[in-house]
Amino acid sequence: MTKLFDILRVSSRQVVRQRRRYFGVILSIALGTAGLIAVSTMSRDVKKNLNQDLELLGGCTLIKAYFEEFLPDRHQSSRVQSFEDRTVEAVRGYPGVDLASLSGVKRGAAASVWRNRTEHYTLFGVDEYFWDVNSFYPAAGTLFGQGEVQGRQKVCVLGAELARRIFGEHDAVGSFISIDRDIFRVVGILGGLGVGDRTQFAFIPLTTALDRIAGMTRDRLYIRCATWDDVEGVADHMESLVSSHQSSDRLRVVFAKEQLKRVKRIVWWVEWFIYLSVLATLVLGGFGIWNGMMSAVQARTREIGLKKAMGAEDGDILAQFLTEALCLSLGSAVIGIGFGRTIMEVIGKLLSSPPQEDLFLRFMMVGLLFALILGIGAGFYPALRASRMEVVKAIRYE
Amino acid sequence: MSSPPSAPSLAKSPLIEVSEVSHEYHNGAGAIPVLKGVSLTVGYNEMAAVMGPSGCGKSTLLSILGLLLVPSRGSYRALGRDLLTLNRSQQAEFRRKCIGFVFQSCNLIENTTVYENLEFPLIYAGVRRSERAPRIRETLSRVNLLHRLHHPSNLLSGGEQQRVAVARALVNRPQIILADEPTGQLDREHSQLVMDHFQQLVEEENIAVVLVTHDPQVAARCHRVYFLEDGLLTSERTLNPLPPHSSLRCNP
Repeated sequence: MTKLFDILRVSSRQVVRQRRRYFGVILSIALGTAGLIAVSTMSRDVKKNLNQDLELLGGCTLIKAYFEEFLPDRHQSSRVQSFEDRTVEAVRGYPGVDLASLSGVKRGAAASVWRNRTEHYTLFGVDEYFWDVNSFYPAAGTLFGQGEVQGRQKVCVLGAELARRIFGEHDAVGSFISIDRDIFRVVGILGGLGVGDRTQFAFIPLTTALDRIAGMTRDRLYIRCATWDDVEGVADHMESLVSSHQSSDRLRVVFAKEQLKRVKRIVWWVEWFIYLSVLATLVLGGFGIWNGMMSAVQARTREIGLKKAMGAEDGDILAQFLTEALCLSLGSAVIGIGFGRTIMEVIGKLLSSPPQEDLFLRFMMVGLLFALILGIGAGFYPALRASRMEVVKAIRYE
Repeated sequence: MSSPPSAPSLAKSPLIEVSEVSHEYHNGAGAIPVLKGVSLTVGYNEMAAVMGPSGCGKSTLLSILGLLLVPSRGSYRALGRDLLTLNRSQQAEFRRKCIGFVFQSCNLIENTTVYENLEFPLIYAGVRRSERAPRIRETLSRVNLLHRLHHPSNLLSGGEQQRVAVARALVNRPQIILADEPTGQLDREHSQLVMDHFQQLVEEENIAVVLVTHDPQVAARCHRVYFLEDGLLTSERTLNPLPPHSSLRCNP
């Protein structure tokens, strides 16, 4: 035990004293470990953030689940189903689901009259999550929230095209319009990259819509997944999830499959590129250790001979050089863990998402394990070569 | 230099006993004989010198005595054991416990301090950490180098380095000290200091010292002087009878 402690002490001292010689190796392994930890730990948060920023790609993490009005082989007058509260809660709590919004649409067009002109359009009843799930924002005014929904207020948000059709050049926000037989106050104009044809729709609180609009149902759920990796899993399980709480008859689940595939392919390549870079850095570090230890064995041949003459056994020499390689790789990995943690904190601050400690601990262990394997793998042969040196040859080595 | 040590009484058996040892090196052209049937004995409390021209096989003989080299033929006994039957690990153990080396060029370990150089033999011998510092201090004080205890070894002068090498050979209190030109780089004063120390050890500690030297004054302080020429022992001169045999100090 004393001898082991001494070998560890002597080896670590050698590495510290020759740190300039090993600088490249230390830097390489430290950066590789830092990259491994940062990429592995923060990739989910980065994906999540990227997903929010990539709405221009068409909202590929959005799933729409809805009950079809009729099926081709059934009678058109059959009643449309609604999502029940317990189903909605179950969906919201499902792993991989970030947010879910319940909404409905009026069967048949709604109508508004402004200055004796009647406009027909599609009317949606939506909850307070609808905007966030679809990444909508107000182009003007505000988008109604929880207060308005729970208060069953008569407020509405208009698509920009519809607002222009109804109000012309007149400012729509703050104006009152009739929707069917009720008067609603316009609180905002809908904006957002993925608005699409919703620019011609009107939106009122779902609670108000269910109370006042004939033919309104709770027949659609918009589900925002945390990352694109979750989309297919959530979509595949949607029917069984719904059927475990209510009938899933006529349920249809749609998502942007092609876009998702393309995004996943791009990200897959980017991820592999990063992982390969990390691996290449670590392997370079390993070669650095190998090369460093081989040249150290060469340069310290006389030292090896002297130590053997003092009575060191082959195992002592092997242990010393192997421990030096391990000190080098593990010491560098510890520095890398420090770097990685710093990078994690910075990314966490930038994304407003604190690092996940369990993931950090897991990949810290992976980093240390990799460094251990690297140290043994790269250090064993040079150490073995040192241990097998003949004493007289080693002492006379110039 | 001072006179040889006073005559001790005759020993029952020698500490080192080499008989008909031959050794040859092999290169592409064939075998090159270095030692040709050399026999010598060194007793307890005895200091022996090996002299001869360069390339006559002195260092090879010393390497065989230190178990750094296995001879091609012959036998070698020390401390009552047939050392040529030992395996690699047992040879290392014998070196660790019973032999102290001083090499031709001082050969201190690079990137270490004087203290660390002297600590290595103690580490390999399994000496406890608490015992190391006093032993290192005591040994260094014997060669007048205590003030250099934590000095980087590569910053010492040649003479100081040689004295550190001598101290390192002594720190483990070996029973056999093998020294290849131990005073080669020392001035007269420090040569005398080192030889005085060897002589004191030989007289007090029941050990044997074998040294290779070209210096007749160093050889004059030894009990026996062997002359080697072209791998053959040409003459032996005994200056003093051997001291009485006493108990073994190391237990390999």
